[in-house]
Amino acid sequence: MSRSMLCRLALAGFATVAFATQALAHCFVGARFFPATLATDDPCVADEISMPTVSWSRTADIPPAREWDLSGEYSKRITDNFGISVGQTWTQIRQADGTLASGFQNLETTFQYQILKDPSRELAILSGLEIEWGRTGSTGADLADRFSTLTPTLYFGKGFGDLPDSFSWIRAFAVTGQVGYQVPTSSFDFIQNAFIPQQLVYGASLQYSMPYLKSEIIDLQLPDFFNHLIPVVEVSLTTPIANNFGNPYTTTGTVNPGVIWVGSYFQVGLEAMIPINRESGSGIGVLGQLHLYLDDMFPKSIGQPLFGAATAPSRKLTF
Amino acid sequence: MRIIFIVAAAALLAAAAGGPAHAHAFLEHAEPRVGSTVPTSPRELVLFFNENIEPAFSSVQVSDANGARVDLGKPRIGASTMRVGLKNLTSGTYRVRWHVLSVDTHTTEGNFTFHVKQ
Repeated sequence: MSRSMLCRLALAGFATVAFATQALAHCFVGARFFPATLATDDPCVADEISMPTVSWSRTADIPPAREWDLSGEYSKRITDNFGISVGQTWTQIRQADGTLASGFQNLETTFQYQILKDPSRELAILSGLEIEWGRTGSTGADLADRFSTLTPTLYFGKGFGDLPDSFSWIRAFAVTGQVGYQVPTSSFDFIQNAFIPQQLVYGASLQYSMPYLKSEIIDLQLPDFFNHLIPVVEVSLTTPIANNFGNPYTTTGTVNPGVIWVGSYFQVGLEAMIPINRESGSGIGVLGQLHLYLDDMFPKSIGQPLFGAATAPSRKLTF
Repeated sequence: MRIIFIVAAAALLAAAAGGPAHAHAFLEHAEPRVGSTVPTSPRELVLFFNENIEPAFSSVQVSDANGARVDLGKPRIGASTMRVGLKNLTSGTYRVRWHVLSVDTHTTEGNFTFHVKQ
């Protein structure tokens, strides 16, 4: 074998190794980037941390109590398409009479599998199983349940960038959503003396991507800060649908208008939480989050999937 | 919770210290600008990215309304720029399709139009 042939083989080998791990990582689907939404989940597996997520609200009690929630979630891709998230929330509730209760809610674990990413349609579909582990939080302070819940969930995201060019600025819109069926491991709570309902847990977001507008539709030469913004409206709802004897089948939840600023390594989100009815809370709350893109911060270590960093062999692009 | 906090703190420290991170390559701007109308045929298209890109795995094509290529072939790639010569363009709408691999091996892609009105 000639020396130049060996050299070419070595270069080819190096290129294969060097680019075997090319990845899309956090939620890119074609030209569309779906940010991590605050109240609902985005439709992709990823290596990321939401820390902290902070919310303040007033409960539906009469008179209302003031509630602080401080939570963190770590998401790790095991393979390119399968990921696990672990999260927990610390809660403090101050009643109107000054009584204070604080402690952890139950530990939550989510297993997710990426079913589809269609770049040309800007469409992503994700399946998941969310588990809240009973008795892992402050059951004594009545902040955590003694039973577990399992919530099989389907997530989706769809960008409108595949609309005809005549739709112009409308193409920067995208929607995401999730629908889950929550099943408790117990059907009756003997302490509260109440049935534990099975519930539909669902939500959606409507988002307008200024980064997409600038890079795909029209560059308005706005100040750079505005080109990183994604205004968003989220809806997060829960409806009891079974095993709810003697209780009303009232849907509760919030509508959250807000904005997400997206950077190269992290994003920051801030939303108002508007209860949809009296049973969902009293007055407007606030929700904020710092979210880190580990795949961009540590692309060659903890930002990669544990196994099989790439699903397809690298290829030289030839248009 | 403690583990999550420690990992988050380590990640923040690494980011603050300007560690070895490289992010996805976003299109910062283009000449001709995305969605713009230019009065004469531009001699070349230039794409500016926010991260350095890999020449061997990055590409761009420009086509007219009928899908015919109007670029002059292989792009010239600098650290974070990609430029390609253009044929003499008549009045009309032209679509740019790009696909790049940033130096941290993340791929990004996009497409946009610009218009020539002579």
